[in-house]
Amino acid sequence: MCATGWASELLAVGPGRYGERVSIATLDLDLDLFSGPFDLLLTLILREEVDLMELQLADVVLAYLDYLETRGDLDLETATEFIVLIAALLELKSRLMLSTEDEEELLDIEPAQAAEELLERMLEARRYRAAAGHLGELLQAEEGVRFREAPLPANLRKTIAQPTDGSQNPEILGQALGRLLAMPPAISLRHIGLPRVTVSERLAHLRGLLRRGRFSFDEAVGGADRMTVAVTLFALLELYKRGEATWEQEESFGEIAVHASAVQAPGYPEAVAG
Amino acid sequence: MSESLQRTVEALLFLASDPLSEQELAEATECSAAEIEAALQALAGQYAEGRRGIRLRELGGGWTLASDPAAEDAARRLFSRRRVATLTPAQAETLAIVAYLQPISRPEITRIRGVSADSAAATLLERGLIEEAGRSQFGAVLYRTSTQFLKLFGLRTLQELPDAARWDPTPEEQAKLRERLLRAGEARAGSGAPAD
Repeated sequence: MCATGWASELLAVGPGRYGERVSIATLDLDLDLFSGPFDLLLTLILREEVDLMELQLADVVLAYLDYLETRGDLDLETATEFIVLIAALLELKSRLMLSTEDEEELLDIEPAQAAEELLERMLEARRYRAAAGHLGELLQAEEGVRFREAPLPANLRKTIAQPTDGSQNPEILGQALGRLLAMPPAISLRHIGLPRVTVSERLAHLRGLLRRGRFSFDEAVGGADRMTVAVTLFALLELYKRGEATWEQEESFGEIAVHASAVQAPGYPEAVAG
Repeated sequence: MSESLQRTVEALLFLASDPLSEQELAEATECSAAEIEAALQALAGQYAEGRRGIRLRELGGGWTLASDPAAEDAARRLFSRRRVATLTPAQAETLAIVAYLQPISRPEITRIRGVSADSAAATLLERGLIEEAGRSQFGAVLYRTSTQFLKLFGLRTLQELPDAARWDPTPEEQAKLRERLLRAGEARAGSGAPAD
């Protein structure tokens, strides 16, 4: 296991480094596998008394997010500390999950072999640096030689022959343009059957209901399609904004009881006068 | 016949901006390869150094007309531009690696040079000295030298490049280098490497 190197690294950034400051170390965790402060969890992981493979790191993150929420403010230093630690744990865990044999093979090069490979590369680089010098000499020797750079005259090129003058019919161009200029027939949208309902329609509807007294939102939209429900909600918000109506809801997803607002907003007295 | 063929070949060389191979000339003139060769030899004599302002050169897999370097000063005044800007060391090294090991990808060039070759390769590509030549099995773009490269460096074919091994150090020098490397490696290992 290659965890030893990581252990020292984790300890270096781990608990205690920030002294008396409120540290992430005191973050209390209550996970399936472990219950206690964060720094104890780290210590246990490093001593391999808690199996990192079994630990759900996502739960640690969630616990931290809860902790953030209860604290109410985001201390950047603590947040950074947490991110560093959780990232190190994630990397350590991913390394544990992967086989480490290949890596060890790579690291086990004898000094002699390493030197041999380095020498090989140095010689190769040196060979082509010398070759580059030779190319430079060649270029120098050709100094002052110029070649024709002009393209072949158009009529001598091996391309498709240019059409001769007058060989094209301008009417074809005109027809092509004419098709583009014509308005295409309007596309029929009848089959879509878009329900059309306006906020002002629903406003009138709600005001009508308000005049009769209290009503529930479900009554107001009874049997209506989703679009109407949405527009009715907009209308209701509009009424609230104008101070004409307000509502109560006893419980989540429960009935919404709408009634006229006790305090009338100035400027709209006539709205509920009838 | 032979005189008129010479004139025709001369005209074709004048019109073409790329080197023309003997086969291309033979096909265009509907003559045999031997006749073309004879005509080119005769033309080469007429355009021999010191006779005209133009020279007939065999370059880049074909024959082409080029200016006599004696005209370069005047040409530079006329065109107010160097015929080809000199290459930086990085560009020259990259070009050498492509010339000898083509087709080759940028990562390989980088590995050999030990430093990135991206900018040098881009410049060489822009100047038309190297060109793309498909992709490696890993999807990296491969590069090769262009006809323009052969023209500018006065080469008939890539085979005219000398064997790169001629610049390798002698076995004695290599042995000395190896010894120095090993000693440097041991010095480092002794000073600070972990025991495991």
